[in-house]
Amino acid sequence: MDAHDHKIEDPPTLHDVDNPAKVFTVYLVVLGLALANIFLFKAGLGPITLPVQMGIATVQAALVAWYWMHLRRKDTIITLTAVTSLFFVFIFYVLVLSDVLTRTGGGL
Amino acid sequence: MSASTHSSVLKHHFDNLEQQHSAEKLGMWMFLVTEVLFFSGLFVAYTVYRHFYPAEFAFASSHLVLWIAGVNTALLITSSLTMTLAIRAAQLGKRSDLMRWLVVSFALGAGFMGFKAFEYYTDIHEQFVPGSMFQTEYARAVEHVAHHSAAAGDHGGIQHWAIELAENNKGKDPNSEGYIFPERVQLFLCFYYIMTGIHGIHIIAGLGCIVWLMLLTKCDKIPPQRYATVEIVSLYWHLVDMIWLFLMPLLYLVGTGVKGH
Amino acid sequence: MSTAYAEPQTIAPVPPEPEAPPRNYLNNGYGILSWLLTVDHKRIGILYLVSLTAFFTVGGIAAGLVRLNLLSPDGAILTEDQYNRMFTAHGVVMLFLFLIPSIPAVMGNFFIPMMIGAKDLAFPKLNLASWYVFMIGAGFMVWAVLAGGIDTGWTLYPPYSSRFSHTNVTPGAFGAFITGFSSIMTGLNIMATIHKMRAPGMTWGRMPLFCWALYATSFIQLLGTPVVAITLVLLMVERVAGVGVFDPAMGGDPLLFQHLFWFYSHPAVYIMIVPGMGVISEIITCFSRKNIFGYKAVAWSSVGIAVVGFLVWSHHMFVAGISYYSALLFSFLTMLVAVPSAIKVFNWTATLYRGSITFQAPMLFTLAFLVLFTVGGVTGLFLATLGTDIHLHDTYFVVAHFHFVMVGGMVLAYMAAIHFWWPKMTGRMYSDFWSRASATVIFVGFFLTFVPQFVLGYHGMPRRYPNYPAEFQVYNILSTAGASILGLGYLMPGIYLTLSLFFGEKAPANPWSATGLEWASPSPPHVFNFEFVPVVKCGPYEYSLNVDQLGRTLPEPPGPMAPNTLKETNGVG
Repeated sequence: MDAHDHKIEDPPTLHDVDNPAKVFTVYLVVLGLALANIFLFKAGLGPITLPVQMGIATVQAALVAWYWMHLRRKDTIITLTAVTSLFFVFIFYVLVLSDVLTRTGGGL
Repeated sequence: MSASTHSSVLKHHFDNLEQQHSAEKLGMWMFLVTEVLFFSGLFVAYTVYRHFYPAEFAFASSHLVLWIAGVNTALLITSSLTMTLAIRAAQLGKRSDLMRWLVVSFALGAGFMGFKAFEYYTDIHEQFVPGSMFQTEYARAVEHVAHHSAAAGDHGGIQHWAIELAENNKGKDPNSEGYIFPERVQLFLCFYYIMTGIHGIHIIAGLGCIVWLMLLTKCDKIPPQRYATVEIVSLYWHLVDMIWLFLMPLLYLVGTGVKGH
Repeated sequence: MSTAYAEPQTIAPVPPEPEAPPRNYLNNGYGILSWLLTVDHKRIGILYLVSLTAFFTVGGIAAGLVRLNLLSPDGAILTEDQYNRMFTAHGVVMLFLFLIPSIPAVMGNFFIPMMIGAKDLAFPKLNLASWYVFMIGAGFMVWAVLAGGIDTGWTLYPPYSSRFSHTNVTPGAFGAFITGFSSIMTGLNIMATIHKMRAPGMTWGRMPLFCWALYATSFIQLLGTPVVAITLVLLMVERVAGVGVFDPAMGGDPLLFQHLFWFYSHPAVYIMIVPGMGVISEIITCFSRKNIFGYKAVAWSSVGIAVVGFLVWSHHMFVAGISYYSALLFSFLTMLVAVPSAIKVFNWTATLYRGSITFQAPMLFTLAFLVLFTVGGVTGLFLATLGTDIHLHDTYFVVAHFHFVMVGGMVLAYMAAIHFWWPKMTGRMYSDFWSRASATVIFVGFFLTFVPQFVLGYHGMPRRYPNYPAEFQVYNILSTAGASILGLGYLMPGIYLTLSLFFGEKAPANPWSATGLEWASPSPPHVFNFEFVPVVKCGPYEYSLNVDQLGRTLPEPPGPMAPNTLKETNGVG
């Protein structure tokens, strides 16, 4: 499955090990975004506040998942697992809101 | 040493270590899927009610303790960093580094829970709890506001949020715009306590797993061949962190944000 | 292996077969602790089998009492309160403690590793933990229904369940919450195993359809169960803390509970039926001596049911107060979910065509499934259609519909699975005559129980009512009579299967001459399933080539009579 021909019992080869500089950079970005989230809120953005907040949280989550949870390593099944969960959360939201947001005239 | 630890690392039903690590990681990712769906129920319910009651949610959110949330966010993100570095230490066989990163992660996570406990203590002390505590305090505030003018500084020992709510609703018909329903404020508080509470339970479970890793490390049971064990705990920990990153703005940063606590 | 030999105790000569190894999974360690602390997936499957049989009995007794009460228009034996508790008990126990675990926890645990050529599931200790978690949750639920009961219906709708009911809602909901984790653990284990532990040569395209079905089921378990878990938590918090998450008086929305609840509970019915469909694929091919018609269609239709099943839940809420537009959308989506199920039925029927069919008990249950599941499925269309659902919702039409698919479908598939794999699990053959008789009795009893209920529902008799207008009595009496026959039919396997453990003939490795890898192991199987690493050479149903998945020739297939009687193999196989 792995393209690299190393003995099974050996410790992981160095390319499987995280680069500490990359890990730390992600940390600074995620932390920075968290602070930005709070300050932007204080600044008062009006109606776009919620989408901006959720957008920032999404970027933070994506960075954590890509670098720290190693989705970057492109294991197909794991990526599919992660994406599938998001897809079904999306379905859950859309279909519940399809009822809640259209209840203007009442039900059956 | 490495031969014996290696042979005990490979479990009898797997053919080789690669298969075992691969299965363990996939298993943890699948568990994370269940956690995402678990919290999504709460998020969907929260979204529905926030859509119905934006004013009440904004009011309630503005009376939560924002600085604690900020500190906790920083603690949690940092603990995610240290868990990632712990995996690296395990892969390179650096036992003392591994132990250090695990201890730091535990300390940061425990710090999160400590601040959370303090926050809950503050909220409970302020009677900001849905149910009879809220209702009693609000009733006192309504009574107080009916007989005293707004400008007077003395609030009669009644909590600030209750006075504000009573002031806002004074003289208003419940169907008019600008009326903030106390029941719906309590609904927000239900979500606040349930969402942060369940998140906190997950943090505690994660702390337990980190302690388990610390014990294994102390007994030298995490050779480089067994790094995957650290990785799967780290995956769980990152998810709990990510959930907080969404939770925090939804609970603490609702509304226009101009008014603070 | 080429000479037959006769054992003095048996009636007919036993065909030659590999000598059963002295150590198999059943005699590898005796004593209660070797069972309670086992990590062997086969023993865990048996633990589940025993527990599930007990819970099926409890749920069945509740059903019996419900039907007895309905003999009279005013309630024959129960008060109205007792009646509410009885149908709730029936629903709660049958769904959470029998149907949802059934095939995945018993046959999935036992046979997935064997079918894919693995030594065990991916996470054996998690597997054992799943049984303990299940039993703890079951303990809470059974206690809740026996010590006072729950009167809300298994659906636990607030605000009645949270604010007004004085019954054991909290322990019942807590029990369901706990068993949900067991469901998740089993599903996770099965999915990881199928992904990572297939034997050499076992590609996805050569996997038995039972594995595809269990994979799809596990997919649903992982995605859906957590949502009902959080829903139950919210319900329990509302009830215990007295707050108003779903209470309209506090600004809550009862419909939100229903959305959260049915987001799981509709896919849950697919958790119940899809494993049964997997079993049907295994049995119908074996007893028609024919490859499945449309392997890819059947395999992917399991996945299709799993995915589309998540899109339809609001059809339980058409008259609850959801918006018109949402109802339209869900009605359309519900029609779609019938398609993959229909694809399966067509493919199974095509598999039968020109097959060499014999009618042993597994096949009788399977054929009954085809008829009853199809009836149940098409009656679902009346419920999916908005206009007719207004009249049929919450009537006995719905009750009949879901009993057709869940009992006529799933329970019969479970029976088929038990009868098919019993020789492998226990190493014993059961009575051919009595097994066929019980399948017949169950089919007749089932029909008589539930067809009158369609009529009742069409005429407007509501469900969950302890009394009814006098003109409905004749149908209720017919239904109860059918239920008695059905009960007798369920009792029969209890007797002859138990007797087979002591007096049954020793089973050969492959009594049905089936092609799956699980039949390549002795009956009962070796502790680690196989004494060699299985290398898969071909697809799962090569009956026309007369080879199993290892490429070995199959033994003589069972004739019209019971296997092992009157036949000598003379060195073949």
